[in-house]
Amino acid sequence: MIAGAPAPRVIVADDDADIRALVAISVTKAGLVLVDKFPDGSSAWEGVQGSAPDLAVLDVSMPGLTGLQICRLIRADARLSGMRIILLSAAVDDASRQAGFVGGAVEYLPKPFSPRDLIERLSVLSDRVGA
Amino acid sequence: MRLARLYTRLGFGNPSPLLKQLPTAILFVIAIVVVMIAPGVQVSNQLAVSSSAIAIVVATALAAVLSRKESWRYLSLIVPTIDVLAVAALRYGSGEAISMFGSFVILPLIWFAAEAGRRFIVFGTLGAVVVSFTQFLLGKSVVVYGPEFMRAIFSCIVFGIAAVVINELSRQGRLQVEKVKRFAEQSRLMLAESREHAAELARSDAKVRATEQLFRGLWEAITEQSVIGTDVTGLIDAWNPGAAKMFGLTRKAMVSKRHVDDLHLKTELMDRARELEYPAGATVLNPGFSALVETARLGAADVREWTYLRDDGAHIPVELSVTARLDGMGETIGYLFVAYDMTKAREVARLKDEFVGLISHELRTPLSSILGYLELLRDDDEVPLSDGQLRYLDVAERNAHRLLRLVGDLLFTAQVESGKFHLDERTQPLGPILAASVESARPAAAAAGISLHLDVVDDMVIKADAVRLGQACDNLISNAIKFTPSGGAVTVGLTGPSPTAVITVSDTGMGIAADELDKLFSRFFRATTATRNAVPGVGLGLVITRAIARAHGGDMGVTSEEGVGTVFSMTLPIVEPAIA
Repeated sequence: MIAGAPAPRVIVADDDADIRALVAISVTKAGLVLVDKFPDGSSAWEGVQGSAPDLAVLDVSMPGLTGLQICRLIRADARLSGMRIILLSAAVDDASRQAGFVGGAVEYLPKPFSPRDLIERLSVLSDRVGA
Repeated sequence: MRLARLYTRLGFGNPSPLLKQLPTAILFVIAIVVVMIAPGVQVSNQLAVSSSAIAIVVATALAAVLSRKESWRYLSLIVPTIDVLAVAALRYGSGEAISMFGSFVILPLIWFAAEAGRRFIVFGTLGAVVVSFTQFLLGKSVVVYGPEFMRAIFSCIVFGIAAVVINELSRQGRLQVEKVKRFAEQSRLMLAESREHAAELARSDAKVRATEQLFRGLWEAITEQSVIGTDVTGLIDAWNPGAAKMFGLTRKAMVSKRHVDDLHLKTELMDRARELEYPAGATVLNPGFSALVETARLGAADVREWTYLRDDGAHIPVELSVTARLDGMGETIGYLFVAYDMTKAREVARLKDEFVGLISHELRTPLSSILGYLELLRDDDEVPLSDGQLRYLDVAERNAHRLLRLVGDLLFTAQVESGKFHLDERTQPLGPILAASVESARPAAAAAGISLHLDVVDDMVIKADAVRLGQACDNLISNAIKFTPSGGAVTVGLTGPSPTAVITVSDTGMGIAADELDKLFSRFFRATTATRNAVPGVGLGLVITRAIARAHGGDMGVTSEEGVGTVFSMTLPIVEPAIA
C-alpha cells in the first residue's frame, strides 16, 4: 500500500455467515476498509451500485444474483470500470474458473481457501488500486 | 365272421392236406360201393382192391394229421404219393386196362402239379405213368406195343399235358396271389404311414398351439417396453401393449394405418440421415425411415438412443433396438423396434449429478469455515498458541483436509461415471511429472521411515493433463508408502517399449491377496491387508487412478505377493519414443 493513499474500500458477499465473517476478517487483516457485508446477490449488487467500492469479494453461488452475474453487471457499468473483483467458489473445475475470469474477475479462489492466501492477494490488489 | 373262420379252419385260403385229400377219399368210397354193388364190375384181384382201400384210409388219416400243424406241411406230398399207389392198386385189382378207375389218378396229379415248381409236373406225370403201366411194371402183361400199351402211353401224355397246364395255371394263380398280397402289404404300410403322419401332424399342431399361446402370453406381458413391428416400408403391422401404453394409442388406431417414422422426432431422423450421407433426393424415398433401419437392414442389431414423439407432443427418450424380420428364405420382410423408456433413467442420472454437486458444495462450505478459522487461530499474533494447542490444531487441520480429499474424490468419481471428466492435455515429457510426485511424497516417506527412489533411465514424451496424471502418480506413491512398513522401500520407475510408456510403483509392503487383485479397481473396495492393518482409506484412490490412466488412452495393472510387495503399473501411449 502506498503511504498516504486512502485504504481501498471493500464489500463482501457470501450467503454463508461464517465465510462472510472469515472474508471480512481477512479484509481487515489486510488493512483494507470493509464497507459492507451482504448475504445475497441482489443486495450485494445494490451495495456495489450505492457505495462503488474499490474491491468486491463475491461468492459465486448465492441466492438472488450469482457472483458471476454481479461480475458481468459491474463490467457492463462504465462507472464501476476501476473496480476489482475476487470470486470465491466451491466449484473447482477449470470450466468454472475460466468462466470467472471471462466474467471479469481478477482472482478466482476455490473453496476452501486459505485466509492467509486471501489476505496476500487482497494486499497485492490494494497496492494496484492505490497505484 | 363265422363263415370267414370256417373258411380259414377248412384251409380254403391255403388248402390243408386233408381238404386236398377229401375228393380222392370220396371218389374211393364211391368206387368201393360201385365195386361191391354194381353187377358188371370185375374184381380181378381182391387183395389189390383191399390194399388200395387201406392205402386211402392211411393217406386220409395222414392228411388229417399233417393238417394239424403248419410245420408238418412239407411232408404232405406223401399223401398224393400214397394216393397214386392206391389208384394204381385199385386199377390193377379192377381189371387193369379195362378198369373204370384209372382216371382217379387225375386228383393226386392235380395235387402234385399244383405245387410250385416245374419238377412237380414230372412227379404228377410219373404218378400217371405208374397207374397206367402197373400191369407192365408188375410183369402181368407182356404184350408190348399192343393197343393196351399204346393207350397207356397216350393217357400218360394227356395226363402230362394236363399236369403242365395245371402247373402253369397254379403258377399264374400264385403270382396273382403274390401280387395281391404285395399290394395288400403296401396298402397296410401306407395306411400305417398315414396314421403316423396324422399323429405327427396332431403333435405338431399341439406344439404350434403351445408356441402360439406362449407367444401371445409374452406379447401381452411386455407392458413396459414398446414393441412395434413394421413391413419393409415402415407401415406398422404389430403394436404391443407396451407401445399402446407408451403412446396412449390403441393397436386398432395404429396397425396398417401409420408408419413408424411418424413416431420419431423428425430432426433426429434427419440428423442421422445426414450422418449416413445419403445422396440427396431420388434414391432414398424416405430418408428418415431409411436412417432408422440402416444398420438393421445391413444385418446388424442396432441399439441407440432416440426420441419418440407422442401425438400430444410429449417427447419420450428411448433406448431403441432395431432388428430386421426375416422370412424362411432369409429375406427381410420388415423390422422390429423394441424401445425402453429412458425417462426414469435420465431423471435418476440428473438427480445423481445434482446430488453430487449439492454434496460437494454443502460439504465444501463448512470445510471452508473450519479450515479458514483454524488457520486464523494458528496465525493469531495477538494471542500465540502453546505448543500443545498447536498440536491439537494439527490434528484438526489434518482431519479437515482428509475430509476435503474425500469430497474431492467422490466428486471426481461421479464425474468419471457421468462422462463429465475432461482432460487439459498438453504434449510434455513424463519424467518431470513423476519427479514432482516423488518430491511431494518425500516428507511422508521420511516420516514413515521408508526410502523412496525415482528410477527414470529414458524420459518419454506424452500427451497428458499434468495435474490429473500427477494426481494419479500421487495416489500410487502414497498408497505404496501407506502399505509399506518402516524400513521398506518404494521405487517409482519409468520403462517402456514403444509405443507405450510404463510407469511402475513398486513397494516392499504387505502385499495383496491374489483373489482380491481383480477387485482392487472397484469403487469402495478395500483389500483385507488394508483393513487388517487399519490403513486409512475409503477405496476410491485406485478407481480414480485407473480412470485417469484410461482417459489418457492407457490402463492399469497390478502384481502382488503377500508379505513381499506389490507393483502397480500404468501404461500410457507415447508421442515420441524417447528424448535425449
